[in-house]
Amino acid sequence: MDAKRLTSRPSVGTNGESKTAVNKQVNHVTSSKRFQASYEGPPPPEIDEEEFDEDVFLEEILGEEPVTDTGVQGIQSRLAQWRRPAPPQYHNAYDNIVFQQLEIDYIIDESSKELLPENKGPAAVLRIFGVTEEGNSVCCHVHGFQPYFYIAALDTMGIDDIPKLRQTLENRMRESGKNSRASVCVTDIKMVQKRSIMYYQKQKTRNFYQIFVALPTMVATCRGILEKGIHIDGIGSRCFLTYESNVLFALRFMIDCGIVGGNWIELPARKWHDRMDMRRLSYCQIEVDTLYSNLISHPAVGRYSKMAPFRILSFDIECAGRKGHFPEPQHDPVIQIANLLTVQGESKPMVRNVMTLKTCAPIVGADVMSFESERDVLLAWRDLVREVDPDVIIGYNICKFDLPYLIERAQALKLSEFPILGRIQRSRVRIRDATFSSRQYGQRDSKEVTIEGRVQFDVLQAVQRDYKLSSYSLNSVSAHFLGEQKEDVHHSIISDLQNGNPETRRRLAVYCLKDAYLPQRLLDKLMYVYNYVEMARVTGVPISFLLARGQSIKVLSQLLRKARQRNLLVPNMKGQLGQETFEGATVLEAKAGFYEKPIATLDFASLYPSIMMAYNLCYCTLVRPDDMKDLQLDPDIYNKTPSGEMFVKQAQEKGILPEILEELLAARKIAKEDLKKATDPLEKAVLDGRQLALKVSANSVYGFTGATIGQLPCLEISSSVTSYGREMIEHTKKLVQERFNISNGYQYEAEVVYGDTDSVMVQFGAPTVEESMNLGREAADYISKTFTKPIKLEFEKVYYPYLLISKKRYAGLLWTKPEKHDKMDTKGIETVRRDNCLLVKNLVTECLNKILIDRDIPGAVQFVKSTIADLLMNRVDLSLLVITKGLTKIEGDYAVKAAHVELAERMRKRDSATAPGVGDRVPYVIIKAAKGAKAYERSEDPIYVLENNIPIDPHYYLENQISKPILRIFEPILKNASRELLHGAHTRSVSISTPSNSGLMKFAKKRLSCFGCKATLSEGDQTLCSHCRGREAELYQRTVSNVRELEQLFNRLWTQCQRCQGSLHLDVLCTSRDCPIFYRRKKAQKDLSEAEVQLERWEF
Amino acid sequence: MKRRERSESQSSAARRDWREIALLKFSAHFLSQRRSKLKHDAKELCVVKMLELRLVQGSLLKKVLDAIKDLVTDANFDCSESGFSLQAMDSSHVALVALLLRSDGFEHYRCDRNLSMGMNLTNMAKLLKCAGNDDIITIKADDGGDSVTFIFESPNQDKISDFEMKLMDIDSEHLGIPETEYHAIVKMPSQEFARICRDLSTIGDTVVISVTKEGVKFSTTGDIGSANIVCRQNKSVDNKDNETAIEMNEPVSLTFALRYLNSFTKATTLSNTVILSMSKELPIVVEYKIAEIGHIRFYLAPKIEDEDETQS
Repeated sequence: MDAKRLTSRPSVGTNGESKTAVNKQVNHVTSSKRFQASYEGPPPPEIDEEEFDEDVFLEEILGEEPVTDTGVQGIQSRLAQWRRPAPPQYHNAYDNIVFQQLEIDYIIDESSKELLPENKGPAAVLRIFGVTEEGNSVCCHVHGFQPYFYIAALDTMGIDDIPKLRQTLENRMRESGKNSRASVCVTDIKMVQKRSIMYYQKQKTRNFYQIFVALPTMVATCRGILEKGIHIDGIGSRCFLTYESNVLFALRFMIDCGIVGGNWIELPARKWHDRMDMRRLSYCQIEVDTLYSNLISHPAVGRYSKMAPFRILSFDIECAGRKGHFPEPQHDPVIQIANLLTVQGESKPMVRNVMTLKTCAPIVGADVMSFESERDVLLAWRDLVREVDPDVIIGYNICKFDLPYLIERAQALKLSEFPILGRIQRSRVRIRDATFSSRQYGQRDSKEVTIEGRVQFDVLQAVQRDYKLSSYSLNSVSAHFLGEQKEDVHHSIISDLQNGNPETRRRLAVYCLKDAYLPQRLLDKLMYVYNYVEMARVTGVPISFLLARGQSIKVLSQLLRKARQRNLLVPNMKGQLGQETFEGATVLEAKAGFYEKPIATLDFASLYPSIMMAYNLCYCTLVRPDDMKDLQLDPDIYNKTPSGEMFVKQAQEKGILPEILEELLAARKIAKEDLKKATDPLEKAVLDGRQLALKVSANSVYGFTGATIGQLPCLEISSSVTSYGREMIEHTKKLVQERFNISNGYQYEAEVVYGDTDSVMVQFGAPTVEESMNLGREAADYISKTFTKPIKLEFEKVYYPYLLISKKRYAGLLWTKPEKHDKMDTKGIETVRRDNCLLVKNLVTECLNKILIDRDIPGAVQFVKSTIADLLMNRVDLSLLVITKGLTKIEGDYAVKAAHVELAERMRKRDSATAPGVGDRVPYVIIKAAKGAKAYERSEDPIYVLENNIPIDPHYYLENQISKPILRIFEPILKNASRELLHGAHTRSVSISTPSNSGLMKFAKKRLSCFGCKATLSEGDQTLCSHCRGREAELYQRTVSNVRELEQLFNRLWTQCQRCQGSLHLDVLCTSRDCPIFYRRKKAQKDLSEAEVQLERWEF
Repeated sequence: MKRRERSESQSSAARRDWREIALLKFSAHFLSQRRSKLKHDAKELCVVKMLELRLVQGSLLKKVLDAIKDLVTDANFDCSESGFSLQAMDSSHVALVALLLRSDGFEHYRCDRNLSMGMNLTNMAKLLKCAGNDDIITIKADDGGDSVTFIFESPNQDKISDFEMKLMDIDSEHLGIPETEYHAIVKMPSQEFARICRDLSTIGDTVVISVTKEGVKFSTTGDIGSANIVCRQNKSVDNKDNETAIEMNEPVSLTFALRYLNSFTKATTLSNTVILSMSKELPIVVEYKIAEIGHIRFYLAPKIEDEDETQS
């Protein structure tokens, strides 16, 4: 294909061409690229993150023929009213264009003739998408920025060797044959004076070659060639270490131009060129070309710290699945799409719209568009996206489900004109499978859908990243954060609703709208927009990286920026797997017990960052033992760390990492001070988000140096940090015990009861909180003085009383002021762990409340006993017994059989549609089974258990769930805790229920037993044995009142569910697995029907 | 399902009215009964109700417990005038145990009223371990008490020990399998059956038991191979116990989980012969007669292909 012709706008294609366009598009959509070798072959190595540039050629993504607009008739005017405000006329001569950028990508295009007349051939053109203050969308094409990297020149090589090097590289690149499009691969080589960031060197700079290549992907090819070794005439065969060759092109551009994610960019007058109508490529209102050197990037301060009024589209789709199958795009139609458009900064959505297949009754406050064919629904949605032009697309699980589904569905319907959702005209959405794996976040599969110019923000992914929850369904997430349940319509019911009448479809539409509204509310509630933009600004990466990539890119971005300022280069040294590990943080031995005197806690404030700052630990201050002789260093200009590494002091050379940390912590301090002053809740949220982002970033620096498989590991730094940390804890302990004792004139003997990574718990012996606080403050000040700045020991809180169970496990009432305790604080106790059932959590919390707050130990014991009795009598709600575990890998990857994995497999056999997939959390309960059956054989789906009346195994819960945490709590308090709590009289009442689905139940006959004494009844007796007949009245009353109680309970639960679904006249459809009410309702219903059967036996 | 749920909730109000009426009706009925009742009570008032069973062959009870304690953990023992019995499903609800010790098999049997005693079989077995093999065992319980007493007397009466065990309150349904005519009944030496089950379980998890006129065939297949064992009908003249006899109306072939059959054979010590009764699509009955006094029956549902995950 002739590249030249394509950049100038292609003429309208002939018929023949239009056919190829269709074929081509199909290829695009299906071209899925395996990101990492995760599906086939051996399991993926634990790569923290691996990024590749991918060159996308403009001509490849454009259909040749402008798509004949077969949009839907009759909705254009309705859509048009939601357009962006018309842009003011910008004049090249005197108008500056200022906008907030949200997304930066690049495309391979022909070099611009006007801006760079001397360049030829394809080049990478960066595109910045953003919004102006007035709310107009901007697409800015940035020309002239070339991809490059560095290599260190050999001492023998000089400026004269450049042509030879260039020629050799060029030839090798041609041989590799991947880059046939470009006429020249290596466009330029420059000699520069720089220094490597690694190790302390006296020499300030040395020679480096800066190698420019034509296209971003060539960086990797070129790096490969140089690392493997290259033969240069006159110099011989050499391998070269490359520098900064693993930086993504867009990030490279941002670093060099000083752009950080989500900041404001100004295009000064006369430095930009408006794209004329003919040459416009995007749907943006303002589309301009400029040179990269003309951009002005504004740091996020003052008026540039605010947000542009960008548009956020939240959407949700509903599909009509077939019975027993999860909807598949090849077969099942999309029946509804709900949309919610919000302008950033406004509290109410601007558009609430739902598109339905077939008629739908009107909904108050929402715009309903009904269509007769599915094609129209899809195309109308495409038109909506194009017309309202959102900058950010959000939703719940859109990346894994909604977006791929829409695209694959359009493909199944042969709607080639559908997937033009991006901001580039005629450019189709690309989709590929991606596996994201990171140590911190675990592995998850996802589909990567590229919508050019629009940021996708999947609220599910964000919540999964930032919060540890037991379930990530939209329902439970919104219950958790918004305090609101939502009905959960099982997908098999959706088809029935769709096939009903306009009213049932309206019902579905309301549900669909709610699903679109909740992500928006979560976004607002969790301040995601602010937090993520702040995080992008602090770390300097694009917003889209924050969700799609892990931690280390953020540190790397900061490191590169700082290194650039200091004229340093970051080598591309990938860490090797299986490198040696180092000793971690220290934990002082815990003196377990129940402390009824106040315990003061002394904390190190940001311990690891402070250590790095105090001792100037950095890549560029590290002195290798080998270099020691050559450098001839004075002993007093370097520090030897407790782990034996050497780092020069600040006076010699200030480390980059300490500098980054100082900035981060200083910024955090400012943010925290502002936060104290701030009154406006919105402003508070922004500042809180910022200080949190800063804290997380500061702490991740240490992790970056210790990640052996990360971008630039340096174990010398991380092991030094931990060794200092250990030393400090021990030091603190020693000082406290030496000073605060009776022989030094204090009233009491201080005792360190426990110490963790960055805190020490001291019992000063004083009986009141106030005295302990004073002593704590005194100790903190006293000990802080002995440390190098900025390491500081702070006194923050007192625990009173304090229950220390073992290391990393304790609970106590937390006091920060002497008058009243603030809250109960627990660590490592089952109140917070997720792989326990709710019963344990409730039980532990209640016990701790009784022990710590009420100081009522007998009450706590009684509570445990009654809970255990309830459990054995099968009176506990099933929802309290549900255990959830994340399914992180596919079944074969698990070395041992695990309950949730086996269950997922069994559920898949039963009904593949509802079965959980990789990344989901699997809820299960443990049921009774044959003796000796393993736990993994006894796991069962809670809903299946409810429906089939399968008895749960109370002993499993007693022994494997309750006993350990309860005994841990009570052992320091109670003698013989196990006997008292787990084997008392309360365990001798049990209930054994009979399942309805067991093989034998088909044949067995139930025999009646007496209501009074449970003895089997002789023939003819219906209710009571002859012995109990005297108590007939009492027992009948008991049965009646039992039924009545259950009826009331059931009615209350039923109306609760009706309220939740927002209608008291309709059936409850909800089958939400996360809703405690659902389980209770089901159980109440079952109990009631059983009780009614019992009642009927009386036959009155 | 959903609709039912709803209708139930709405009709419950109506049902409540109905119940109110029923309550009134009942009061009338109750008053009329009361008089006769009082008379009846007065007659019995002076007698303390109790349970007392004396079993000379104490070892039988020990063996019974050994046979069932692995299948059932907690169960109610039902005592009535006719005998001492137990019906319980195993914890996975696939097999059912029915035990009957008839009252006439006891040396002394007193049961004033029907009584249900919940016991933890593991603990009960532990207590019975303390009884000597020749000991006479007496089981005693007071009406309304929360414990049961076991008294072990050595044969020559020189040692008497009593053990008290706390009872449990077990809320479960009474289940029983109705007696039916079976298509095929196989009587064979219990040792032989135990051995077959044990041998086959080394190969596979399930066994197909096919009964034909010639004999009974046990076959299994597993990962390592397959096995078939055929037992022919034989009439042993000198020893009735070694006889394999088949009574059959029509041939039957059923599949069972070996795991359960192996548990059933724990009862082998109770009897020299075992009786297997089978019908198409009905549970198998594995019955061991307990000398003169009763029986222990195990019921196991047949495996149906591609189903019954609970069994596997």
